[in-house]
Amino acid sequence: MKRLWRILICLSLIFTMVLTGCASQTPQAPAAQEEGNDANKEFRGEITFNGSSTLAPVISAIATEFIEENTTWDKVDSNFPDKNISIYVSAGGSGAGVKAVLERTTDFGMLAREIKDEEKEKIGDVNEFRLGVDALTISINPENPLAQIRDNLTKEEVKKIFAGEYKYWDELDSSLPHREIVVVIRDLSGGAHEVFQNSIMGDTQIRADAIQSPSMGALVTKIIENKDAIGYASFGMVNQNKGKLIPLKVDGVEPTEENIVNGSYKISRPLIVVKRGELTAPQKTFMDAIMSERGAEIIEEMGFVPVR
Amino acid sequence: MRIGFDKAFIILIKVLTLFSLLLLSFIIIFVFKEGYIFFKEVPILKFITGTTWNPLSDPRNLSIFNIILATLYVSLVAIIIALPIGVGSALLLSGYVKERPRLIIRGLIDIIAGIPSVIFGFIGLMVLVKFFEKFFDFPSGESVLAGGILLAVMVLPYIISTCDETMDKLYRKHSPAAQAMGISKIYILRTIVLPQSLRGIVAATVLAFGRAMGETMAVMMVIGNAPIMPRLLGKCQTIPSLIALEMGMAEVGSLHYHALFAAGFVLMVILLMINVALYYVKRSLNR
Repeated sequence: MKRLWRILICLSLIFTMVLTGCASQTPQAPAAQEEGNDANKEFRGEITFNGSSTLAPVISAIATEFIEENTTWDKVDSNFPDKNISIYVSAGGSGAGVKAVLERTTDFGMLAREIKDEEKEKIGDVNEFRLGVDALTISINPENPLAQIRDNLTKEEVKKIFAGEYKYWDELDSSLPHREIVVVIRDLSGGAHEVFQNSIMGDTQIRADAIQSPSMGALVTKIIENKDAIGYASFGMVNQNKGKLIPLKVDGVEPTEENIVNGSYKISRPLIVVKRGELTAPQKTFMDAIMSERGAEIIEEMGFVPVR
Repeated sequence: MRIGFDKAFIILIKVLTLFSLLLLSFIIIFVFKEGYIFFKEVPILKFITGTTWNPLSDPRNLSIFNIILATLYVSLVAIIIALPIGVGSALLLSGYVKERPRLIIRGLIDIIAGIPSVIFGFIGLMVLVKFFEKFFDFPSGESVLAGGILLAVMVLPYIISTCDETMDKLYRKHSPAAQAMGISKIYILRTIVLPQSLRGIVAATVLAFGRAMGETMAVMMVIGNAPIMPRLLGKCQTIPSLIALEMGMAEVGSLHYHALFAAGFVLMVILLMINVALYYVKRSLNR
């Protein structure tokens, strides 16, 4: 009898494993199909997002509100069936977002950079939605004496600091103390660094001993904790930590919402959602919610500058 | 009927074992396959001995000598710090502490092994790194030493439990005779237990070294991740931190992407060698 139980338990374990295998693929499998005429096909109440870790919390917040407000699809539009709304958001970087769209494992890819032409080509039929702009500010610690004497750095100076040509603060301005400049960056291959490299550094290499932070949060923490640090904190993070770190003007242009939107502040990156092919009807309603006035408000609350 | 069940059960456990073996071989094959594409373009010797890692420059410089060196360096610092502490604690536990408190203390030490590494990283970032900046006036506290100290705490439970197991056995074996002869505890510990448990200590070291090399998150948060030649008080980057930092962003299928797999393959080979070494040490221990 004991043996029988043992075998039964083992079999049930295997069976559960097999079932688990099925479950994890269910949300992906339909995404893999072409969704041309959604009216003819079965209704799908799930929407998946994957990509940039900058954009993921924004989409999550909008999705949470959207789900709380409606719960089922028939409340959004009476033509839709009575099915639960489920929106899955996962973050893995802009590159991972494009990859997921390419491999059809997600409906939407989230990018915190321009989509490259080669990526557009690979995907083919691309639908792009611009949600907002995230700007990188050149920020320093408030205790840094530089904050008292100047609020502006020229592009050339920023470049020299990040390239390691200025190693000590007194090389930038002789009244500053002889202390080493601590340069904090994001990982070299990430979206944020790409924006910085393109808009400031050009072909110049960043200094090899710069601290590479694993996240924007860690980068901001480093600037707050270390008074010799300088780094490119995102506009949103600076707003959330007002007073704890000081953003500097670059070439006389202050990183304000107005300057970022009209493009006079150069170090910025767009926040984009991409989709392969046409949107299905439920996807379109959710996209409308993101692009709505309330969506823009949430984007703003998260510290980014929405495109209105 | 019974025999039938037995047979079914044997087949079942065989299938399950095969499954776990297949899983292991699949991981190795997958990493090698992705890395192999890179080795076709860049000779393996250049990959290991070159010192510049810059995935963005043109032409790309993808060599990991500095990074391999830093991985070994950080782990070595951790072992140097953790080994005396670990061996000392194990000696004390096996000789001077009674059975019940000993079990409780060992349980507490084992809890250290269960703390998620992000927590260690966070403490390291907020306390250790800041401490270096404040009291030693470093421009930035991220350093090989910070990573080493943090890792030392993390591998300590492995060293203590492995050493304690051997030492406790030895002490119990020799203690009655020694007590009968009136020899003091410290003398037995110093002249019999410590020298005889040398193999156990070596095994613990190797095990801890392997653990330290593979640690990702905690180390990533306190070493600064700059792929330069590692110095004790300077920043560095280890292989796991390199992969964790750049994998999310590397364009799929690019040379950079495959280079990260190649780096992972190198790490796996080093760890494999360490595990083989551990096997031989353990075998000679059992003789």
